Amino acid sequence: MSNVSKIPWVEKYRPKSLKEMALPTARVRSQKVRVDEELKNFVENFFIERNQINKENTKIRNFNRTAIEKEQREEIKISPEKAAVLLEGPPGIGKTSIVYALANDLNMEVIETNASDTRTRATLERKLKETTKTRGIMDFITQSKEKIILIDEIDGIYGVQDRGAIPTVIDLIQNTQFPIIMCSNEYKTNLQPIYNKIRRFEVRPLPKKEVTKIIHNILKKEKITSIKEEDLELLIEKNNGDLRGIINDLQGIGQGNVEEDAKKLILSLHRDSIEEIFSLIRDLFQVSSLREARSLTDKSDVDYNFLYKWINENLPTFIKSNREIAEAYENLSLADEIFGRIRINQYWGLLPYFFDLFAGGVALSRKETPAPKGFRSVTFPRYTSGSYFSLSSAEKELIEKIRKRYEISPIEFIQNFLPFLKILCGTSRKQLKNVSDWLDLDAKEKKFLK
Amino acid sequence: MSDNIPIWRIKYHPKSLDQICGREEIIERLNQIIKLKNFPHLLFVGTEGIGKTTISYLFSKKFLGKSFDANLKLIYANVPLSDEERKQAKSEAYISTSKIGSLAGKRITMPAFIQVKVKPFVQLKVLGGAPFKILIVKNFEALDLNQQGFRRLMEIYGTNCRMILITTKISNIIDPIVSRCQIFLIPRVELKSFNNLILDIAENESLKISNETIEILYKISGGRFSRAIDLLQLSSITGNVIDKNKLYENYQMFQNDLIKSLLMMALKGDFPKTRELARKILSNYKYSTHELFKLLLDELHKLPLSKYTRCKLINYIADSDFRALAARDADIQISALLSKICLFSEYL
Repeated sequence: MSNVSKIPWVEKYRPKSLKEMALPTARVRSQKVRVDEELKNFVENFFIERNQINKENTKIRNFNRTAIEKEQREEIKISPEKAAVLLEGPPGIGKTSIVYALANDLNMEVIETNASDTRTRATLERKLKETTKTRGIMDFITQSKEKIILIDEIDGIYGVQDRGAIPTVIDLIQNTQFPIIMCSNEYKTNLQPIYNKIRRFEVRPLPKKEVTKIIHNILKKEKITSIKEEDLELLIEKNNGDLRGIINDLQGIGQGNVEEDAKKLILSLHRDSIEEIFSLIRDLFQVSSLREARSLTDKSDVDYNFLYKWINENLPTFIKSNREIAEAYENLSLADEIFGRIRINQYWGLLPYFFDLFAGGVALSRKETPAPKGFRSVTFPRYTSGSYFSLSSAEKELIEKIRKRYEISPIEFIQNFLPFLKILCGTSRKQLKNVSDWLDLDAKEKKFLK
Repeated sequence: MSDNIPIWRIKYHPKSLDQICGREEIIERLNQIIKLKNFPHLLFVGTEGIGKTTISYLFSKKFLGKSFDANLKLIYANVPLSDEERKQAKSEAYISTSKIGSLAGKRITMPAFIQVKVKPFVQLKVLGGAPFKILIVKNFEALDLNQQGFRRLMEIYGTNCRMILITTKISNIIDPIVSRCQIFLIPRVELKSFNNLILDIAENESLKISNETIEILYKISGGRFSRAIDLLQLSSITGNVIDKNKLYENYQMFQNDLIKSLLMMALKGDFPKTRELARKILSNYKYSTHELFKLLLDELHKLPLSKYTRCKLINYIADSDFRALAARDADIQISALLSKICLFSEYL
């Protein structure tokens, strides 16, 4: 164990420049773009634009000082599209790294705020607005570096603690003196007002070939030879394009007990959230007290929004007798109702009941029969509720074709007319041909009617 | 009538107001209106599938004459808005800051349905020589609280656009709307005219069908022409002679059987299979949770069960439906009901 280092490898091998970095591909409005060039252009253009606007504004200010109130002009602002961009993609593919590498290349500073800071209106303002709105006298004297503002993990703006953060961010975009780059993992509806204003880069994970290259590079530098090729393969596969995850795992193996079977070690590192849900569900149906159930759900970081749907899907796999199923569902449906009322009326005080009912109530409804032994496969929740009347594209096309000839509502069509059509076309090939000729159907739609 | 259409219910769909049979009184009233060239908002009331929409559509067509294409719109109140329409409603609700007035920069809250589907149509001026536009709203009772939004619309744009509201339940429509409309009650077709129509079709398609069989057809189709003609066509495939056995055979292929088998399967007590079937029904027929519960309730009345069982099951369905009002996940509520019935089956 010669190579124990104090800094994590993720930081150690964070690329210093865009040139030495393996760049992920990105899309803007489903068009492929090069992230490095686009970002560089964005930052450079921003400063050109800003300097122009600042000049204009000085003129306006000087003019306003002498003019009467009626004739005073408003100061111009930079357009949001030119002031900020959003990088969106799965974790660990290099979104933050790109920004730091870019800043390094352009000799700029990065001011970062991330989900670890509470981002209420007040704190965000304190941290960012000072640097964005006013540029101090010292800046002009010392010729200090220009800055890039990085709002990392913007999808983490959430809940009561971060109240008012989104309007603040929008406000910031409109008044900024520095370019803003935001990072986020997924599309969030509450960020819609931000999405509307700026460009969104969808960043994709690195291809496997690139990842392998980077890993080999690191192994070479760290002088690790004990990891087999196939284990590396497994590691890459398991992390699913998450480069940061791979490097973290690698460090775990490289600095740990290398003599131990490396494969086992890799598999024992839990990072995969799906696997976590799987084991959580399995454990939950084994518990024997309410406290155990609560501590299980408390400890896991699985979103409870989904967790109770997983429980719904897998309940019959673990509980077999009708009495117990009914009891479990009595608790689960009440939990669901409570959750609905919480969301409708904001009765957050009811939340403890929800947790107790959906986790403990379900798990403990097993009274007579013993706990299920052996391995049982856990399945994904297949049923997605929400908009109940969602049509497939085949159904939509068929409705369009029929409605050209016969006025019928989509609901009436699905519930009454389509079953009839299916029966009719199922009776003989001749009928199917007649109908499809008349409606001018293609092969896919014909198949749908069979 | 053109002979090339392979689906009879479309082939024998009336093309003009005068082709509608068995509605002499109503047609006469409507023809009177057409002569006078003026009418108030109308409200058509009657049970499902008896031709309210057809009558109102053909009436509007005749009333508007040549310019009917641009001045007529038919909308369905029970079809949910698509995602794009919802988005559109959201963006339209925002009043730009460049506008003058106290509302500038604010959001106006208006039901999305009215915003997207109704308002753009009623606001536009009449095109062509028609006296006013006509808007037909089907399944009006499905609007629930959004009905309130129609009250002022009907007054403000009343001179520009008349509305024909169609509903199956007048009790679900709020009083202010009813008071603004002239009501047309459309009863079920009488057996005599139903008989005539079926005989016409039979003659045209060279089928043999007796009067008793038509009576059975009338009964099982509940007086709905479209359903009856569907059944007739299916029965005709295997031969020209239609008898009651054939009719019943084909009738069983229709959907109500699925609900029945769902209930039967739940009463056998196999929960996983029952849930599977329920999900299949929902994905094929796109019922909402409430609709599924209602269908189960209807089916329950038809099954031969003891008084106690029936009451108990109704209790379960009502409880689940009530919970589903506030609940977030439809599948959990449906599963909960089915699991209760499965448990109950063990005591039978």
